[in-house]
Amino acid sequence: MKPHVNFRSGVPVYLQIVQQVKAAAAGGALRPGEALPSVRALAEELRINRNTAARAYAELESEGVIETRQGAGCFLKANGVSPLKRAVRSDRLAAELDAVIVQAHHLQVGDDDLKSLLAARLEAFRERQQTRSAD
Amino acid sequence: MNPVIDIRNLTHRFGRTEALQGLQLTVEPGRCYGFFGRNGAGKTTAIKCLLNLLRPDSGSVAVFGMDPARHEAAIKSRLAYVPDFVAFYPWMSVREALDYQAAFRTRWNRDSEADLLRRFGLDPRQPTRGLSKGQRTQLALIGAICAEPELLVLDEPTSGLDPLVRREFIRTVIGAYQEADPGRRTVFVSTHLISEFEGLIDRFTVVEQGRDVLTADADEARSKFRRLRAVFEEDAPSGDAFREARSVRRDGRNLELIVNGNGDRILADLKARNPLSVEVEPLTLEEIFMSSVHPGGGLP
Repeated sequence: MKPHVNFRSGVPVYLQIVQQVKAAAAGGALRPGEALPSVRALAEELRINRNTAARAYAELESEGVIETRQGAGCFLKANGVSPLKRAVRSDRLAAELDAVIVQAHHLQVGDDDLKSLLAARLEAFRERQQTRSAD
Repeated sequence: MNPVIDIRNLTHRFGRTEALQGLQLTVEPGRCYGFFGRNGAGKTTAIKCLLNLLRPDSGSVAVFGMDPARHEAAIKSRLAYVPDFVAFYPWMSVREALDYQAAFRTRWNRDSEADLLRRFGLDPRQPTRGLSKGQRTQLALIGAICAEPELLVLDEPTSGLDPLVRREFIRTVIGAYQEADPGRRTVFVSTHLISEFEGLIDRFTVVEQGRDVLTADADEARSKFRRLRAVFEEDAPSGDAFREARSVRRDGRNLELIVNGNGDRILADLKARNPLSVEVEPLTLEEIFMSSVHPGGGLP
């Protein structure tokens, strides 16, 4: 698990790390119980502020993706059960989808194309997940 | 909580040159604050006012809530300063230079000292007169970090260093300095090499001709500033139509705008003129800096 940061994405740096850890966890690149780099190591590696790295981990922990074990560091949680209520989870996802819809509008991608793109991406994601678990 | 640095309406002139003309800037504790400006914009003059090396002509400066002219010793015991040009007593060895600095400090972290000497590959027995510019800066940084001050002031710390040393320098600042109690450790770094510090900086002020022209949180600025590029069938519309943009560049069929915050409205205006294509691209801090100090950038 090696996060990277793109300063030209317009996305806050801590959020980029959150998204990448989630993507790695969902796609199997990071497995339950596996260790994440320490806050200091992550900050030095990416040459980012420690507060930013700490904020990313705090966010991941509050969402139940990772857990901190005192003195041992941060680990991906076993079968990540989100501590957030279902409604909160839906709201968060809705906000992300809204952003995609706005982006689609700016890129002049129509509604139907967007829907089929979503279906195609879902399928690609499932395929990747299966290849990973087959390893 | 009191700001660590509070600069209000600061002016300072050297003869007929107005180095600072009403600078405003506030740094909260725990920040890694970028002070961006071109050479000669007034960065070093402002820093010298913080350290009581210069007195303000008007306006006020406070560090930890104190006036540097009246509480110089109290302020200096809580901060460390790494200037752009570092000098040591040439007869001292690296070891002696560090011991000399430690003698003025109430705290000195021997573990960080040993760790950083190893990391930078500095030999404690080496005389300081034989050090390169990069090694001098590294030695000054070791002295600043080992004293564990609440405020670390870096003035153009990486100019003149080779890229590898720069990288290590920045990692060191990140790792060692904010290790303990990051909420109270504040970094104030003046630089024009912004891309180097991009990830480290969480808030910044751009200074130009002695004035603050832009202050923002780094993430917020990166999400608001955008470059819009449009290509038209015929000549691009005149830039006058986009007065709200921070900068406009027009070249034949191409129009390039830099926008801040009001991007969506300007984008809608742009699209209403039926361009062949429009691209939207967020900006890095360095590009945001460029657009702030050179707003008219290349207006035809």
